[in-house]
Amino acid sequence: MNKIMYLEFERCIGCRACQAACRECGDHDAKERNYVEYVDFMESRQTYPMLCMQCKEPACARVCPANAIQITEEGVVLSAMEEKCIGCRNCTFGCPFGIPKFDFEENKMYKCDMCYDRTKHDIAPMCASVCPSEAIRFIDFDEMQALRRRRTQMNLVEGKKPKEGNKWEYVPEFFGVYSD
Amino acid sequence: MSVYQVKDGVKNLIKPGEKLITTHCCYCGMQCGMHIRVNEKSGKVVGVEPRYDWPVTNGKMCPKGVTAYQTIDHKERIKTPLIKKNGQFVEATWKEALDLIEENYKRLQREHGKDALSVFGGVSMTNEKCYLVGKYARAVLGTRYIDYNGRFCMSSAAGGFMKTFGIDRGSTLPWPELEHTDCFFMAGTNTAECHPTSIQWLWKAKDKGAKLIVADPREVPTARVADVHLDLKPGTDSALANGMMHLLIKEGYVDEAYVAERCNNYEELKDSVRKYTPKYTSEITGVAEEKIIKAAHIFGQSPKSVVMFARGVEQQTKGVDNVALYSSMALLRGQVGKFASGVATFTGQGNGQGGREHGQKADALPGYRKINDPEAVKYISGVWGINPSEMPKEGVSAYEMFDEIQRGKIRAMHVICSNPAVSAPNTEYIWDGFKKLDFMVVSDFFLSETAEFADVVLPATSWAEDEGTTTNLEGRVIRIRKVVEPIGESKPDWEIFKMIAERMGKGHLFPYNNAREIFEEFRIASKGGKADYYGITWERIEKEDGVFWPCPSEDHPGTPTMFKEKFGTPDGKANLAVVKWQEPGEIPTPEYPHILTTGRVVFHYLSGSQTRRVDFLMEQCPLPYVEMHPELASQYNLLNGDKVKLTTKRSHMELEVRLTKAIRKDTIFVPYHWGKELAVNQLTNPALDPTSRMPEFKVCSVKIEKI
Repeated sequence: MNKIMYLEFERCIGCRACQAACRECGDHDAKERNYVEYVDFMESRQTYPMLCMQCKEPACARVCPANAIQITEEGVVLSAMEEKCIGCRNCTFGCPFGIPKFDFEENKMYKCDMCYDRTKHDIAPMCASVCPSEAIRFIDFDEMQALRRRRTQMNLVEGKKPKEGNKWEYVPEFFGVYSD
Repeated sequence: MSVYQVKDGVKNLIKPGEKLITTHCCYCGMQCGMHIRVNEKSGKVVGVEPRYDWPVTNGKMCPKGVTAYQTIDHKERIKTPLIKKNGQFVEATWKEALDLIEENYKRLQREHGKDALSVFGGVSMTNEKCYLVGKYARAVLGTRYIDYNGRFCMSSAAGGFMKTFGIDRGSTLPWPELEHTDCFFMAGTNTAECHPTSIQWLWKAKDKGAKLIVADPREVPTARVADVHLDLKPGTDSALANGMMHLLIKEGYVDEAYVAERCNNYEELKDSVRKYTPKYTSEITGVAEEKIIKAAHIFGQSPKSVVMFARGVEQQTKGVDNVALYSSMALLRGQVGKFASGVATFTGQGNGQGGREHGQKADALPGYRKINDPEAVKYISGVWGINPSEMPKEGVSAYEMFDEIQRGKIRAMHVICSNPAVSAPNTEYIWDGFKKLDFMVVSDFFLSETAEFADVVLPATSWAEDEGTTTNLEGRVIRIRKVVEPIGESKPDWEIFKMIAERMGKGHLFPYNNAREIFEEFRIASKGGKADYYGITWERIEKEDGVFWPCPSEDHPGTPTMFKEKFGTPDGKANLAVVKWQEPGEIPTPEYPHILTTGRVVFHYLSGSQTRRVDFLMEQCPLPYVEMHPELASQYNLLNGDKVKLTTKRSHMELEVRLTKAIRKDTIFVPYHWGKELAVNQLTNPALDPTSRMPEFKVCSVKIEKI
């Protein structure tokens, strides 16, 4: 895999096309594994997409007593292996982003696996493909670096500086999800 | 093993045993390109894949687009004709349904004359079908009463463009050029929710430093990131546009050479806008003076700007004026007919553009001809093979047809691919009209709220079971492909028209065997008209990623950018709009002290007949609600989630409150995608624009009570 997932929160328009598309991916059984949240609907319409950060030291995997959460050689954190998962839901409590969910009917955990069946061939996951505002992108590392640099410059030009107390007004506009 | 299709370096996933069929989304005017996944063995639709090589949308889809395929084989599809017996629908054969239609149509024509029948069309259909609806009404039924739901959606934009530019094409530029625009002025358009896939162009331009001005009573997602948000009071657009033009002239931002060479009425306009000082404009619109001044400076200083608008400014009794005034803003800056700049409206319905050009309007014939023009009547009669004397006269607009029902003039109605029981204003009047009809036929693929009133429901195919063309919001004519065979006994609309025509003794007028033959006839019908499609062929559409009309001959390249040299008016010059601000049809009174405005949410499309049947979309937004500023809510002691009763002069309804500061304090908002007791259009004002005959959905006075 040569590409990374790149999120730019400020671009999100809250349409949840990523969630609808996630249901269409792989074997997701019509259950989305990414989420879109309002920062504070009372104040503004700012939303942000939330998907698995593919942590380098993923809490979900570390707290799994059954070692059911595998990490691929590219660093993608997979859903719990059906045959190993004991249904303890430690992973759902452990993740700081609330990504792993528990399917009580099937008695197993499911989470964003960065659409490994696609991304291992450098095909964009459906969420990133369809995102109409490009708040979610599947791009080269270099492209991500360039975007970050340009955005920083634009923020300077526009005089945007995060201040204490209004951090949500300038939510973290971007971060890459590394898989190397 | 999966197969990967590579085009332009981008891969699509094709699973074993599946094929991808390239087509376009069935919903809004963006007409996003997509691939539908079809199981090769069963021939069934199984999913969707992005289509990266479509230049307008580059694989982007909104949640409606992603789930659109789920309506094709939906369990609630109507699969056989239905006939109402003792108030209940029972399944019937096509023969039984057609017998009934023939018997009633002939009886009513005999007893009350040909105008006793009427046709209510829609523009979520292909160009071919839209063309046939006009021909069916006039040549087969011989009635003057035909109109369509575009009257609730696009007609003010059409009227405004006609007045200003002389031709009504929704966008004067191709949208991929928007990436290079320096300034967007967006009025009355919740673009992020109604046309989400267009946002990529806006954001791309913003990345390069483009400025964004949003005029809207709500802080819509685009307003959130705008340089200026002009939070105007609903119904005051014409004052704002006049105020903007006042400043453009005063500050010397007018492209004098362009205006002198290409526009009429400049001196009158100068006089007319003189009194719209920032102070006066601010008093009317409620927008702070400094915001208006800032917006005028940004707009005036941008080398390449576009003015974009949508239903927010159009669905008003002054909709045509609003469109003409906002278009004039762009003209003053000399922006129309140039690269990456111009004027555009966001088409609400899938084929809102094409559907209004082909003779579904009460006053129009194919190719945007006028029915009261004897030359046009002569030409189209020739194409159809009827005598010009047989061509019915001009009828009345969509809402006014219901007045004719009340007067007993219209006795029967055939509603095609439209759901006025939800989408028309003052819906209780519409429901009453349907009940008064002697006979009612509906062609649709779901049992819509309108279909429930019908005597006969004919199962039409969905967008994926027939082929044809549509015209997207740029004016680009594109191809819709057949993805699967018709479900059950459903039939394409053109076959339904053909069968009824045969029953009415006019079968010879509908000799078609497929959609392509209709397109070939339609090309000739549009030839020489303002919307000239003659040079467009299905092959060209394929090869050139769509062809822009007007395209008068096969060697003509089409017209991506309109008005490069001259406008469509008789003298080739644009008419600057000289119009004063006037109050909307209803203004707040002590009894109805607040303003109600309506609109869409991203999860639903029009009357919701399709999207309310998709699980994902319903999970996101199952019910309508009323959006309200916390300060207004505190007047009524309302908390988030409380229930309120909204009352207007027409009716009342109950809704849940959703509090947000992202709306004006004097305005409340309700989305309109639900039927029956959940239809906000029970409350809306049917006052019509004098030119476009479009109702004022966007402004009415309302009373709030806590329950």
